[in-house]
Amino acid sequence: MTVAAGIGYALIALGPSISLFLSVISKKPFLILTVLSSTLLWLISLIVLSGLWRPFLPLNSTSWWPYGILIFTAVAFQEGLRIIFWKVYKRLEDILDAFADRVSKPRLFLTDKMQIALAGGLGHGVAHAVFFCVSLLTPAFGPATFFVERCSQMPFFLVSAIVALAFVTIHTFSMLIAFNGYAEGNRVDQVFVPIVHLASGMVVKAFSNLYSVILHCCLFGARCFTLLREQHFFSPPRPDPVGDLI
Amino acid sequence: MAQNTRRPSILESLGQEIIGIVVPVSMCMLMVVILVTVLTSNSSSSSSVLTIANIIESSSDSSWDKFVGALLYSLAFVAFTTVITFVLVLLFYLRYTKFLKIYMGFSAFLVLGFMGGEIALFLIKDFSIPIDCITFLVLLFNFAVVGVLAVFMPKMAILVTQGYLIIIGMLAAYWFTLLPQWTTWVLLVAMSLYDLAAVLLPVGPLRLLVELAISRDEDIPALVYEARPVNHHDSGARGGVVRRRVWRERRNDNSNVGADSNSTANSGSDESGDSRSNSNLNSNEIGDSNPDGCTADNGHNDARLVRAEEGQNSERNEELSSPLLKQVQCPGQEDGVSSDSMVLEGIGLGSSGAIKLGLGDFIFYSVLVGRAAMYDYMTVYACYLAIIAGLGITLMLLSLYQKALPALPVSILLGVIFYFLTRFLLEVFVVQCSLNLVMF
Repeated sequence: MTVAAGIGYALIALGPSISLFLSVISKKPFLILTVLSSTLLWLISLIVLSGLWRPFLPLNSTSWWPYGILIFTAVAFQEGLRIIFWKVYKRLEDILDAFADRVSKPRLFLTDKMQIALAGGLGHGVAHAVFFCVSLLTPAFGPATFFVERCSQMPFFLVSAIVALAFVTIHTFSMLIAFNGYAEGNRVDQVFVPIVHLASGMVVKAFSNLYSVILHCCLFGARCFTLLREQHFFSPPRPDPVGDLI
Repeated sequence: MAQNTRRPSILESLGQEIIGIVVPVSMCMLMVVILVTVLTSNSSSSSSVLTIANIIESSSDSSWDKFVGALLYSLAFVAFTTVITFVLVLLFYLRYTKFLKIYMGFSAFLVLGFMGGEIALFLIKDFSIPIDCITFLVLLFNFAVVGVLAVFMPKMAILVTQGYLIIIGMLAAYWFTLLPQWTTWVLLVAMSLYDLAAVLLPVGPLRLLVELAISRDEDIPALVYEARPVNHHDSGARGGVVRRRVWRERRNDNSNVGADSNSTANSGSDESGDSRSNSNLNSNEIGDSNPDGCTADNGHNDARLVRAEEGQNSERNEELSSPLLKQVQCPGQEDGVSSDSMVLEGIGLGSSGAIKLGLGDFIFYSVLVGRAAMYDYMTVYACYLAIIAGLGITLMLLSLYQKALPALPVSILLGVIFYFLTRFLLEVFVVQCSLNLVMF
């Protein structure tokens, strides 16, 4: 819509992750490297998935099951990658502990391990937000906007920004829960994470198909939108009423 | 907080050197992307660069013609660079070091003054900034002169030096992005292959230059970015011997970028922007936290000459850039230190001293990202991650082999691969998924 709106959408998707980055991760260089490497890993998984699904695109079907298969394969692949990430992390932990012994510093504390898991999850979340939301925001900086076809009052960018925000949270904390689950052998935690991932992907898609639900969400969102507009958050300033009298 | 009473864990400072290189590379790339976005969306100006670009490759050619044109241009560029590098090796061999230094300063002035000036003119035209000629000339002149001083005076504040090096890299990279598309890609691949050959082959000019510099214990006059050396006033000194950790030769399976360097640099190593190789003589006197014992050599020797051509006929610029190189020697050893606490220990950890990256590497990374920005932002993110990953891999290899390594090939080849994968595979997929609200 405008540069302000574009920046607003980007901040909705990435705001909490930026503050998390600045407060926790930027203080320790190792965590910054962990974020970068997990972002790269997520990107590679996305490229592999897109390579696999390229012959089947564009999916123009109106039924839900091709999308269901797509989401299922994507989530399964990424959860498999999470297990591989965990194995690499275990080896890294041994190396770091050996190094700490050599330098005569304390071994990794629990908070350190959790911070590494958090950084890994944040990398995944930021990658999702960047590739699914922020990289598509270029038209949003221009003068017009693009509305979702099922709900013609909400701009598409706002929907994707909010969903990206939710997924950042899911990815960040599911890595933490998953690593904790694998470390302690806690079955519930281990299974919880893939189920949540799958469910959230399915739910977003399903809600976009269920007409009544989308109608209610749409009306709610539209009402919020118009309320904000009345507060002059979105519209240009009104012309000067005094100046009209002259 | 309970954590304050505990001893600091290793996570506090691990990997600091790598971040010291990744951050300026990222900043340079970011600025080039911003410049490219701002100037290509607004620009309708034609300049001599674009006419020359049209001679090489016009948009009406067929794909094969474009490819052949790009290949010829890249081969010419690489050949010219090789010749210039050999000339540089010859001059260095004949000890014309002063001439080389003056020439470096001159080329830095040209980049900052003329290229920076033209970009400033583009910006002024696009944003209608009200400024008159004389003020502009005075500001530009001062900016360029301070830049030359910053790069070549050894006692300048390190932030100023680093900032100016990043600006020089950004300006040169922007001019390269004005080349036509096929030419840019073929040129990047050709330069990375040239870099590989020039540094690793025994007859390669850069390897000769590095060996000359090592044998004479001199530094090469070059435009080289140096990360601020990390100073740890460590309590690790035992019995008066500060242990130096170097990259260990035994390979571990850690494929993550994460296992990285720590450093216990000489405290008080002078923070000049120039490369120093004689500080193994100085550091014994300077450091008060390393009173005796084995001091790691700060002998960083580097050279790679890259001829930065901006596509204009009349101006020829030259910048030296260098491979990543770290060298550690242990000239002395304290008695009573057991032999297994000698030099080779650590798990892929950095030695003392800072990592140096040549300016040509900055330039070509930024050219790749700038060219990706001309297509779409998704390719920018993908190429950025690929380049950083390549840089991490190169640093790991550096720790493994402990000799001069070319910094271009891995990053550029990964970047090019990711660009094409993203452009042809990923973008379609992600746009389709997003529009249908399929998110995972």
